[in-house]
Amino acid sequence: MPKLTIDDLKKIKEQYKATFTLREGGYRAKVTVHMGTCGIAAGARDVMNSLIDEMSEKAITDIIVTTSGCAGLCSKEPMATVEMLNEAPVKYYSLNGEKIKKIFKEHIQAGKIVEEYALVVGSETAY
Amino acid sequence: MQQYRAHLMLCGGTGCIASESLKVKEALSAEIKKRGLENEVNVVFTGCNGFCAEGPIMTVYPEGIFYERLTEKDIPFLVEEHLLKGRPVERLMYKEPEKRHAVPAMKDIPFFNLQVLRVLRNKGLIDPEKIEEYIARDGYMGAAKAFTEMTPAEIVTVVKDSGLRGRGGAGFPTGLKWELAGRVSSDTKYMLCNGDEGDPGAFMDRSVMEADPHSVIEGMIIGARAIGANKGVIYVRAEYPLAVQRLNLAIEQAHEAGLLGEDILGTGFNFDLSIYLGAGAFVCGEETALMRSIEGKRGMPIPRPPFPAQKGLWGKPSVLNNVETLAQIAPIILHGSDWYRSLGTEKSSGTKVFALTGAISNVGLVEVPMGIPLRTIINDIGGGVKGARKKGGRTFKAVQMGGPSGGCIPESLLDTPVTYEDIVQTGAIIGSGGMVVMDDSNCMVSMARFFLEFTADESCGKCPPCRIGTKVMLDMLNDITEGNGKESDIETLQDLCGDIISTSLCGLGQTAPNPVLTTIKYFREEYESHIKDKWCKAGVCRSLCTFIVDEKVCTGCGACQRACTQGAVTGEKKKPHEINQELCIQCRACYDACKFGSINIGPAAMREGLLKDTPAVSV
Amino acid sequence: MQKDINILVVDDEPVVINSCERVLREEGYNVHSAMRGKDAIHLMEENIYNLLLTDLKMPEMDGISLIEWTRKSKPSTGIVVITGYPSQQSIQDVLGLGCIDYVPKPFTPVMLTDVTYRALELAKKTPPLEDFPVGDFTPEMALELNSIINNYKNMPGNLIPVLQKAQEIVGYLPPEVQKQISSKLKVPVAEIHSVVSFYSFFTMKQRGKHLIRVCEGTACYVKRVSAVLDKLISELDVKVGEMTTDRKFSLESVRCLGACGLAPVMMIDQSTHGAMTPMKVVEVLDTYKQP
Repeated sequence: MPKLTIDDLKKIKEQYKATFTLREGGYRAKVTVHMGTCGIAAGARDVMNSLIDEMSEKAITDIIVTTSGCAGLCSKEPMATVEMLNEAPVKYYSLNGEKIKKIFKEHIQAGKIVEEYALVVGSETAY
Repeated sequence: MQQYRAHLMLCGGTGCIASESLKVKEALSAEIKKRGLENEVNVVFTGCNGFCAEGPIMTVYPEGIFYERLTEKDIPFLVEEHLLKGRPVERLMYKEPEKRHAVPAMKDIPFFNLQVLRVLRNKGLIDPEKIEEYIARDGYMGAAKAFTEMTPAEIVTVVKDSGLRGRGGAGFPTGLKWELAGRVSSDTKYMLCNGDEGDPGAFMDRSVMEADPHSVIEGMIIGARAIGANKGVIYVRAEYPLAVQRLNLAIEQAHEAGLLGEDILGTGFNFDLSIYLGAGAFVCGEETALMRSIEGKRGMPIPRPPFPAQKGLWGKPSVLNNVETLAQIAPIILHGSDWYRSLGTEKSSGTKVFALTGAISNVGLVEVPMGIPLRTIINDIGGGVKGARKKGGRTFKAVQMGGPSGGCIPESLLDTPVTYEDIVQTGAIIGSGGMVVMDDSNCMVSMARFFLEFTADESCGKCPPCRIGTKVMLDMLNDITEGNGKESDIETLQDLCGDIISTSLCGLGQTAPNPVLTTIKYFREEYESHIKDKWCKAGVCRSLCTFIVDEKVCTGCGACQRACTQGAVTGEKKKPHEINQELCIQCRACYDACKFGSINIGPAAMREGLLKDTPAVSV
Repeated sequence: MQKDINILVVDDEPVVINSCERVLREEGYNVHSAMRGKDAIHLMEENIYNLLLTDLKMPEMDGISLIEWTRKSKPSTGIVVITGYPSQQSIQDVLGLGCIDYVPKPFTPVMLTDVTYRALELAKKTPPLEDFPVGDFTPEMALELNSIINNYKNMPGNLIPVLQKAQEIVGYLPPEVQKQISSKLKVPVAEIHSVVSFYSFFTMKQRGKHLIRVCEGTACYVKRVSAVLDKLISELDVKVGEMTTDRKFSLESVRCLGACGLAPVMMIDQSTHGAMTPMKVVEVLDTYKQP
């Protein structure tokens, strides 16, 4: 590591912001990818990977991604639930890598629900 | 930079490593790899979390789920359920004592949520071996502020105004110490850190050095700047190998990053830091003794003045601060003295870390604001005396604070607020923060004897009142616990205590009588029953008790029979058992094994009576 | 043909020594002799002997003490007793101490060579108790120590770090180690000894292969560590501060290991064992007893 200046300290802090948002619990949105057996078989793994790639690329720091078991609607897998802070959760269905990127851009970043992929608004919270 | 969706903070403190957390770590890495999660899930080996008795422990973020007592066998299931399917595993969560339900989130566990973390601000949240993670949590920002926006005098003023007092035991105002050393002009000055945690029953410094080594280093850099020191030494116990290893790594990283060495943060200030391994002597907690030890001599205290701030290590002005004190410095500089004073009381500001151990449900490190009552720490955070809720269970007897220099505080004084002044009123001291809880199965006379044995052994031998006085007192206490006590002993002990306190040079001798004085003050009847009735009601002093089975209560379960190593307990299943006094060695194993409270402890004389009454077996 | 076999004969009667020397040298063994136990120990510290032939009744140090010393310090040396009083009891006693055989006095040359031959064969078969020389201050160690001392030579306050390193290398700090440090660092031996005896970390006693340290801090005391210590003492048949006869374990008690959350605690070498019970002592020891 080269010698640090005070600006470097601040930069390091910024880089790690996402990590510590997660550990300290100050997040703005939560995405749950349903990873039951059927979900994984239908390609939930790709959905998850695309999402994480997208977040890394855009350096988004205040979103958490988590998994849950089967959502109970196997024919519509892969599915994901997006919960924005203080808003009702939205379930998306039949996802793939491209679709989740669109959801990420429109819903999570811009706050507009992607109605064409949405299954239902509301319903139980995952956890 | 790689982002993860989940962070598994697995504790890698000494306590958890002893509970096999290394195996858990291996199993986790293997399982995560097997499931192809290595780019999503990050395993972090943290420093001590403080809840050592429940180890190995792991917190899973973002949910903040707290798992405890993990084994490698639990891992495949845990990874599949929690990380893949998103279902936290209830079976492995913390359960409140005596209640069965699981508490999933760390923030909901009383042990954690009543604490306020300042010293332990990074515990379990960062990887202590990565300087970047420390920096990400405001690390070295305090140093940056101190170096670029403040003069040394301003640093001293902020620390003085914060009211921070030395956490090593004496409670001397830190800012004042710095001011004294800052005023002296000298070509060389030393900034020293005392990590020679010697109090039996205290481990907060080990935990800080293991979990957050950079916080100590940052405190030292700021201190060095304030007093104008260019050399520093951290004196650590050789018995703390993990702390030494992590400190060494942290020093290396700080050097590389230009936070130690020459021209720190481009300000032209130089400060070199090294580690010195202590060789094990309790008296080296005394500052002049510690400095002699670094010079390679016997660690014996010398009279003051001159104070170390004027003439310390190698005759140069030196400041010695304790680990916990130094770990508080950076936040004080960063947030200001008013922020620090927002917790605690007028004279005892901020927070203090305690090592809560002994006969208590939740054993571990707790950091609380000064001024909260002892009762809150023991009953709410500590969960009360272990086994108290069972029928015929244990009851609280005393809490020992301040180690061999401290004293025992009884139930009636549990509402005492934890401040330097209030605790001294009870006869104990805050000390370095050891808090050992004792229940009714502990004998207070033996406790006093235990501490005196410690001080008699650790006395450096320089002052005769301490060297000989503690030995004489120890002999008397040995006599009392062996049944040879005399009625005048209590008064003689009190007299001796007064003499030793007034004629010893250093803190070791001046405080050595405290355990005896407080136990006499609050538990005089125990001394009297040892001396007059030859009866140790707790069943600890072997020559002063008789163990007998209460036939009315005994269910004949056989637990005592299995526990007895001497074959002294006899009896048929489901019928009252009996103890053969001829064979009994008063080890108390039967008493501890009995779940029904059917074994009573009588005075020594009872045993002789029983031996006479029974038809002699051996003749 | 027997040139590389060394035998030490210890007896307070010159006649016995002379006859042993004559008989055994004829067989081709190297034979040394001593008339007092003290001299014998001195010789054994200088040389390596395959076999020790010793009388039991001698002035000053008797044969039993010499045998005990040999068993502990030179476990690879075979021991044969020469005795004028071969009672059933005394024979059992010496065999119990680990002697291979005995020669009754008076003896014939054939008896002596016979017993010697058999004892040497047996001593060859019985491997030394430990496969490394515990506690012996070897020339290699002395060299290593010298280079350590050179590294620290110009550092102020170097004595304690040098002693720590020396103890790491040798295992303990016997007088000869302290003397070497004294001459190299130009510090009086008395001063070195005063530091060694002051700090609990330093020991002048040999330590076994594994060092067991039992915590006697307050939390462990309250949680009855005494029962654990008692069990260790009885399981290992050793006193606190001593080493077991097979040199496997040393047992020591220490002031607080700082792992109070796990009380009662003990440490074996570098690993910490928490929540100890007398039952768990047996389990833990078993894992170290396996080769």
